[in-house]
Amino acid sequence: MDFKIEVNNNPVSVHEGETLLVALRRNGFKVPTLCHMNRFSPTGACRLCVVEVEGKRDLITSCSYPVEKNMKVKTNSPRVIKARKALVELLLSNHPDDCLYCQRNGNCELQWLAEEMNVKERKFFGEKNADYPDHSSTSVFRDPGKCVLCSRCVRMCEEVQKVTAIDFISRANQTKVNSAFHKGLNVSSCINCGQCIMVCPTGALLDISHLEKIQAELESDNKEVLFFLSPSTVASVAEQVGLKSQQDVTGMINTALKKCGVNKVFNLGFACDINILEETALLNEHMATNPSMPMISSCCPAWVQYLEEFRTEWLPFLARSKSPQQIFGNLLKTHYTNSQKLNPDQVFSVAVMPCVGKKFEASREEMTHQGISEVDAVLTVRELFRLLRTFGIDLRSLKAGQLDTPFERSSASAWKMGYSGGKAEAIALELYKMKNNGNQDGFKFSVSKNLAGKKETKLKAGNEEFGFAWTSGIEEADTYLQQLLEENRTDIQYLEVMGCPGGCAGGGGQPISRNPEKPKNRKKFCQEMVKISPIKSAGENPFVLDLYKNKDASPGSEKIKDWFHTHFRKREVMK
Amino acid sequence: MKPELEEIFQKFPNRQREDLIPLLQQIQDDFGFLSKEIITGVGEYLDISINKIYGVATFYDNFRFGPVGRYHIRVCHGTACHVAGTSTILQELERQLRIKPGETDKEGLFSLEVVSCIGACGLAPLLEINEEYFTHLNLEKIKDILADFREKEQNTYES
Repeated sequence: MDFKIEVNNNPVSVHEGETLLVALRRNGFKVPTLCHMNRFSPTGACRLCVVEVEGKRDLITSCSYPVEKNMKVKTNSPRVIKARKALVELLLSNHPDDCLYCQRNGNCELQWLAEEMNVKERKFFGEKNADYPDHSSTSVFRDPGKCVLCSRCVRMCEEVQKVTAIDFISRANQTKVNSAFHKGLNVSSCINCGQCIMVCPTGALLDISHLEKIQAELESDNKEVLFFLSPSTVASVAEQVGLKSQQDVTGMINTALKKCGVNKVFNLGFACDINILEETALLNEHMATNPSMPMISSCCPAWVQYLEEFRTEWLPFLARSKSPQQIFGNLLKTHYTNSQKLNPDQVFSVAVMPCVGKKFEASREEMTHQGISEVDAVLTVRELFRLLRTFGIDLRSLKAGQLDTPFERSSASAWKMGYSGGKAEAIALELYKMKNNGNQDGFKFSVSKNLAGKKETKLKAGNEEFGFAWTSGIEEADTYLQQLLEENRTDIQYLEVMGCPGGCAGGGGQPISRNPEKPKNRKKFCQEMVKISPIKSAGENPFVLDLYKNKDASPGSEKIKDWFHTHFRKREVMK
Repeated sequence: MKPELEEIFQKFPNRQREDLIPLLQQIQDDFGFLSKEIITGVGEYLDISINKIYGVATFYDNFRFGPVGRYHIRVCHGTACHVAGTSTILQELERQLRIKPGETDKEGLFSLEVVSCIGACGLAPLLEINEEYFTHLNLEKIKDILADFREKEQNTYES
């Protein structure tokens, strides 16, 4: 039911049951907050959303207060502004003043607020947090000194990712966000999804940077530096810089990277195609041997790690294929080096990913061969931008250049892997063709319009019907799969899981922004690329087919196991 | 898992989230403190992340994560005691025992804890050692109390 309240002397229509903050923001009133996240439980932790309500003695936190009939609200009264400024000054009282050295300089919500509230000097001198920064993880870096205890990361980890690797430890001015027994993230149950980084308002959570390592390689001539770009990275760059799908964005990034001194730039989409063919073959095999369980996609490192830590009983249903990143790394260190007459340790392979979990994946023992890692470094999209800025490169001014052979082409299917539901569609297409003698006429697959959320759909191929489902966010995936098992359902054959809400478009390595349109735009870009890609499906990629021919093998066969398949194992962590 | 722990678990058959604090209290009463193994066991039993449990347990002053000494000293730091000079008392204890609040000395003899208010403000400043109360404290008294306990310990050891 809707009713009216009065805000700053204007009548405003609100829905019963919603919080005051949600109503105010929907109606265009600007109310600052550091802790509020849409669709998450309200905490009232930062108190910056305080407003004045007539008849109430104290200011109230609008994020945790429901709208009431005949409310008279003031969002910017002198009293409110004074209180907000004091709150920001208090938050700054124990903050290290090292903005110049902070990765979030210029993109920090606390910094913006201090500027908006016209904070000019330190009013309160608080005791600084003396905890050491946590470098222990392969992917996520924590600096407790910059934490404002807003609890966004804690709620994200618990409510969306179901991991609860971090929580509030101790009380009052001793409170800290940490793992149990003050242990590092490396021994906690963290799955390296990086969603905590995406919601952190300050620089308390960042990625473990591989930039320095890469710059060192670029400066020395010891190794050939090879970059490969994932489809969603390209989408993200296009979104951030404002490029259209008709422009050859991949080519432009290629030119930019060459200016930085990168020797060769390849297309990771090539390995996406291989991954899709491998998973389709494995799915075919899985349906014959395991008809009661869906096969679960394994390209998301966070999801794989979650199963290894929390749901080892589901590991047998995980597709055995390596992720596109590792397939590509392997190709570079075997196929490419062979053809170039190089030793595997003479090349330095760098993946550019919208993901921090890929840093962990690259460091996995299974992803090394005789002590040589397949992927030597992983750059997040954020780090890619930093690299380009360091070299003073403006993407828009560059002419697109041809990617390097032999791994430069990918199909439309590879672009589908950039968003939730895309991979399921790509696999469905390959399966359809398999059941229809290679013909894709009449392929019908209903995709989701929304960025995130679970969805099921049926694929009719010949006389058979196959169930496909996709979810994103670990909590959603876990609940869905558990429900499937409880209800003894056997009509779902393939389940795509992306650890981040919305899939890689909302990945933990994407540029940090509170704008919910950004991941949607990335998905849109990927979908446009699907439409204009000349190669329509993974199985039609002539370069991929050539590769299989070279190896004298078919997808899913014994022969290519060493290159394209992996295994999973139980992980003992603090959980 | 320790059979004693299983026994305590049986007292909480519902395995609800709200059992957490009573369960931890019971465990601490029986075991003296919450070890990592115990917290992991509780986490598995109640299906709660150990990070969450550690968060809850550290919120309350009453939970401990290491063993206490044979003589556990609880120093009252309520308002009345504060006014009456607990800070000096505490400093003296820290100096003599060479430990900080929350710690246990190397011999495992004394451990130190600061509590909010024991509820005997008229007797301030005061402290409690193994449920024995020492009131109207001053620095001289602290010396005597510790010496008494050390002597007591010596006698038990010799006999």
